[in-house]
Amino acid sequence: MSVSKMRMQLNRRMYFILGVCVILLFLLILRTGYLQIVSGHELSKQASEQQTRDRIVNSKRGTILDRNGKQLAVSVPVETVTVAPTQINANADKVAIEMVATGLSQILGLEYQFVYDKLTKPQAYEILKRKIEKDEADKVREFIVANKVLGVNLDADTKRVYPYGSLASHVIGFTGLDNQGLEGVESVFDKNLKGSPGRIVSAKTAAGTDMPFKYEKFVDPKDGLNVVLTIDETIQRFVEKHLETALIENKLLNGAACIVLDPKTGEILAMSTKPDYDLNNPFYVESEDIRKQIELLPADQRTAKKEEELRKIWRNKAVVDSYEPGSTFKIFTSAMALEENVVKLNDTFYCGGSVRVANHNIRCWKSGGHGHQNFVEGVQNSCNPVFIEIGSRVGTEKFRGYFEGFGFTQKTGIELPGEAPGIFHNKAVFNEVELATSSFGQSFQITPLQMISAIGAVANDGKLMRPHLVKQLTDVNGNIVTEYGSEFVRQVISKETSETLCSILETVVSEGTGSGAYIKGFRLAGKTGTSEKLPRGNGKYIASFAALAPADDPQVVCLVILDEPSAGLYYGGQIASPVVRSIMDDTLNYLGIEPAYTPEEKATLESAVPNVAGKAVADAKNIIKNSNLKVVVEGGGEKVLSQMPKGGVKVNQQSTITLYTEAKTAPTMTVVPNALQMSVVDASKAVSQANLNVKIIGAGSSPAGGGLVSYKQTPLAGTSVEIGTVVTVEFRRIDAGE
Amino acid sequence: MKKGQIDFQFFIIVMALLAIGLIMVFSSSSEAARHDFGDAFHFIKKQLLWAVISFIAMMTLSKIDYHKFSKFAFPILVFAGFLLVLVLIIGQELNGGKRWINLGFSTFQPSEVAKIAIIIFFSNSLAKNPKILDKFLTGLMPYLAILGAFAALLMKEPHLSGTVVIVAIGGVILFAAGAKIPHLALLGVPTAAAGALLVMTSEYRMKRVTAFLDPFADKMDGGWQIIQSLYAIGSGSVFGVGLGRSRQKFLYIPEPHNDFIFSILCEELGFVGALIVILLFAALIWRGIRIAMKAPDRFGSLMAVGITTLVAVQVIINIAVVTSSMPVTGMPLPFFSYGGTALFAVMCCMGIMLNISRQSKA
Repeated sequence: MSVSKMRMQLNRRMYFILGVCVILLFLLILRTGYLQIVSGHELSKQASEQQTRDRIVNSKRGTILDRNGKQLAVSVPVETVTVAPTQINANADKVAIEMVATGLSQILGLEYQFVYDKLTKPQAYEILKRKIEKDEADKVREFIVANKVLGVNLDADTKRVYPYGSLASHVIGFTGLDNQGLEGVESVFDKNLKGSPGRIVSAKTAAGTDMPFKYEKFVDPKDGLNVVLTIDETIQRFVEKHLETALIENKLLNGAACIVLDPKTGEILAMSTKPDYDLNNPFYVESEDIRKQIELLPADQRTAKKEEELRKIWRNKAVVDSYEPGSTFKIFTSAMALEENVVKLNDTFYCGGSVRVANHNIRCWKSGGHGHQNFVEGVQNSCNPVFIEIGSRVGTEKFRGYFEGFGFTQKTGIELPGEAPGIFHNKAVFNEVELATSSFGQSFQITPLQMISAIGAVANDGKLMRPHLVKQLTDVNGNIVTEYGSEFVRQVISKETSETLCSILETVVSEGTGSGAYIKGFRLAGKTGTSEKLPRGNGKYIASFAALAPADDPQVVCLVILDEPSAGLYYGGQIASPVVRSIMDDTLNYLGIEPAYTPEEKATLESAVPNVAGKAVADAKNIIKNSNLKVVVEGGGEKVLSQMPKGGVKVNQQSTITLYTEAKTAPTMTVVPNALQMSVVDASKAVSQANLNVKIIGAGSSPAGGGLVSYKQTPLAGTSVEIGTVVTVEFRRIDAGE
Repeated sequence: MKKGQIDFQFFIIVMALLAIGLIMVFSSSSEAARHDFGDAFHFIKKQLLWAVISFIAMMTLSKIDYHKFSKFAFPILVFAGFLLVLVLIIGQELNGGKRWINLGFSTFQPSEVAKIAIIIFFSNSLAKNPKILDKFLTGLMPYLAILGAFAALLMKEPHLSGTVVIVAIGGVILFAAGAKIPHLALLGVPTAAAGALLVMTSEYRMKRVTAFLDPFADKMDGGWQIIQSLYAIGSGSVFGVGLGRSRQKFLYIPEPHNDFIFSILCEELGFVGALIVILLFAALIWRGIRIAMKAPDRFGSLMAVGITTLVAVQVIINIAVVTSSMPVTGMPLPFFSYGGTALFAVMCCMGIMLNISRQSKA
C-alpha cells in the first residue's frame, strides 16, 4: 500500500469514526429531548412528589353557640402523629427502625407490630395515631429529639369537644375523625363551620431537611364560622330534665320528643329527643343489653348491627319521625271551622259515644259519650263526634287547603338532616270517611316539628313562621356574617280566629282534659292528644300535649310527645300534660314573663316564708301572720333561734311555720306520710296531720278539682324529716283521657 | 518544528466546555459540600485550582513538539503498567474498588496515565510500522496483548469504565491505523462473549444491567441513582429550572458533581443547555478528527484520533448512562465531572491536540 493510499484509508476510517460519534451523539440528543420534553411532565411530577412535603394546616372549626353565647361545641387543639416511611427507610437501618417502633408503641400505647408495619410501609405518609393530647405529644417530641428520629411528625389537629355532653345532642350533632360534620347542625352547617384548610408546600432534601431556597407555598387556613343557634341552653336543660323524668316514669319504649318554639319568630328555643347520647362519645352504645346483643352476633354482622343501633340513637324524633297526632290536631280543625264561620262557640252538639259516617261507625274516645255540649265544651272534652261534625261542615276541599296552609304537607326546611315530609291522603281518595278521621287527627302522619310550627301559627295571630334553629353565622371576632331572620310563610287564619281559639284552648287547661298542665298565673292554653299506633289494637300509644302561653299574648309554644308509654297510663291528658306544665313553668319564669293571677288563684297563692330568725318572738309572729301563714312557737325563749321551713321557701297559704326559741340538741323529727293515690283534699290532710306543710302541684285552678290523683311526692313516704318541712305532692288527672 | 497557529476553534470549544464544566461543578456540588463539609465552596475551590494548573499544562504542551513523545512512548507504557500493578497493592479502596493512588497532596487514577500511554505508544508504534497490521499474529496480536493486559489489570481493581475507555481507544487507533476488518470481527465475537460472561458472573454488574432495563422496578436499591437522574433530567424540561436551582442535587443524586453532573445540567439549564453542551462535544470531536486528518504525519494523526476517541467515548457513555440508555457504569464526563487529575489528564491531551493542530498541513 502506498503512502497516499494509506493516508486515504486513514482518512476514510477517521470519517467513519466521526460518523459513528455524530450518530451516537445525535441519538443521545433525541433521548435527552425525549426525557425532558415528552416524559418531562411525568418525571418532574414524580420528582416534586419526593422533593416536596405537603402539609395540610387544618382550619379551626367554628364554635356552635346557643342564643346567649354559651359554647355548645368547641374545637380544642390536639396533635396527630404521622410518619413518612420512605424518609425513615432512607435514613435508618432495620435496627434503628425497630428502636423507633418500640419507643413509639410504648409512648402511644399501640401494638409494636402495628407501629413497625406503618414505619416500613412503602408510603410517603401514614397516620400513626390521631388526636393525642399535649402531654402525650410532648413525650413523642422528646423521643424524636433524643433519638434524632427523622420522618416522625406531629401535625396540629383539632378535636371537637361538647362541654354540655348529651345536651341537645340531636340538634348539635357531632363530627368524625377528620372533623367533618356527621349529624345535626355539625353536618348541615359543615361547610360554614369547617372553613378551608391551609397548605404548606415546602421543598425537602433527600435527608428530609428543608431546602434553603424559597420553594415554599403557603396558603393560609381560613377558620370556620361560628354557628349561633336559636336554642337557649337553659330552656333546653329544663326540657331535657323533665323529658328524661317522663321517659323513666312512663317507661317509654320508643322515646320522647319535645320542641319549644317562639311563635313570633319561629325560633326553636329547645328541641330534644330522648333517649339521647353523649356527643363526646357518639359511637358508644350506652345500653348494655344492646351491646351484649351485638357481641353475640357473628363477627361479620357486628358492624352492621352496631351502625343500625347507632342510627337509632342518633335519630332526631322531633324532625325525622312522623306520627299520627290524634286530638292535638283538633286545634286546627277548630281553627278551620272558626275561620270559615261554620261553627259558633255556643252551637250545641250531641255525643252518644259514636257517630255514623258513610256506613262506618266512628267512636268517641269516651265510650259512654259526652252527651249534650256546646262547641267550647266539645273542645274541652276533646269529643270526636263534635269534630267529625265541624270537619264535615268545613268540607274536604277547604280542609285540604287549610291542612296545606298550616304546612302539614311540606317539610319545614329546618336546618337538620333527614326531615320527614309527613303523609296525607291523596286528593282522589280524600272523601267523607277520611275527612271524618282526619278531623280528629287520625289516618295521617305529620312530624312533631310540623305540629309545633302550626301551633305557632295559631299562637302568632294566624301567621305561620318558618321554624328555624340557626340565628346567625359569626366570624372569629364575633362579627355577624349571615343573619337568619324570622321568615313569614303565610297567614293561615285571621287574627280574630287565632284569639278566639287561644281562649278556647285556655279553657281546655283550666277546665278540660288538659288541666294537668295548669300553672297558676300563666294562662296556659293547650290540647291533649293520644293516638294508638298502627296496627290498631296492639296497645301501643303516643301521648302528646301541645301548649301555648300566655293565652292572651303567646310567647312560647311547647309540644311534648311520649312514645309507647308502658307504665299503665297512656293518655296525653294524664302523662304528657304534667311534662308540659313543668317545662312551661320553668321556661316562663326563666323568660321573666310576669304571672297574672286570677282572684281565685290569688286566694290559693303560695307565700314565701319570711326569715324571722334572730327576731323577738312577738315580732316574728306578727310578720308570719301578715304573710298569711300560721305559726307555732317551740320553747320559751324570747328570740327566734331558727325556723322551719327556712326563710325564702315557698309554701301554700295557711301553712304552719315552726319557730324555735330554745337551743336544742336535735330538731323534732317526724315521718313523711304517704300522700300518693289521693285527692287534693286527702293528700293535704295527710301531710298536715304529720305536722308537715304541703305544696300542691298540677291541681288546676280549683284545688278540689275532681279526677285529680296524686302520683308523685317528695320526700317519699317513710322519710324522716324535721317537722314543718314542705312535702311536694304532684297531681294528675286519671279520669281525663284525650 | 513548524510553528503555525493552533486550531483556534478547537481551543475555543475546549475553553467553553471547561468554563461550563466549572460552573456546573460549583452549582451541583455546593449542597453536597455544605452537607458533608459545611462549606459550599469545598469542591469548586479544588477544581478551580486544578483548572488553572491544567490550563497551564495545556498551554505548555501546545508548545512542545509532539514528536518528542516518540522517544518516551515505551517508557510511558511500562510506567503505566507499573502503576496499574501498584494501585492493586497500595491503592485506596473507595466505593468497592482500588482505583486511586494517594500522592499526599492529591489522589490520581493510574488509568488516566494508562490511557495516555496507550495513545502515545500505539500511535508511535503504528506510525513507525505502517504495514504491521496486515499480519494477524505478529501484527495485531501484540497490540491486543498489551491492551488485554491493561484491561485485565483494570478489571482487577475493578474499574469497568476505565477498561471500556482503554479498549475503545486502543481499538479505534488500531482501526484507524488500518487493522483488517476480518481480524477485528474475529476479535469482536470473543470480546462480546467475554463481556457477557463478565456481566453474568457478577451479581453487582448484573444488577446494574437490570436496573437500566427497568429502573423503576427497584426504586430503593439498584434503580435509585438512575431514577434520580431521570427525575433531574425530566424536571429540566425545555429551559430548565434555572442555574443553581436544581432540586435533585439536594442529596437525591449521590455526588451530583461527579458522574451525574450532566443530569443536573439538564435540570438546571433544560434541553437547551443539554443540546448546547452535546453540540459543543460534537464540534470538539469534529475538530479533533479534522486535526487528525490535517496532522503532518501518521503519528500525529493517530494520536489525534486516539485523544478524540478518549473524549468521545467518555462523553457518549456518560450521557448514555445518565439518560438510562445503557447500564450504569461510573464514567465521568470530561471537563465537567469533578476530579482534578482527570481534568489535568484531559487538558494535557488537549495541549497535545493543539500542538498537532499547530503543525497541520495547509
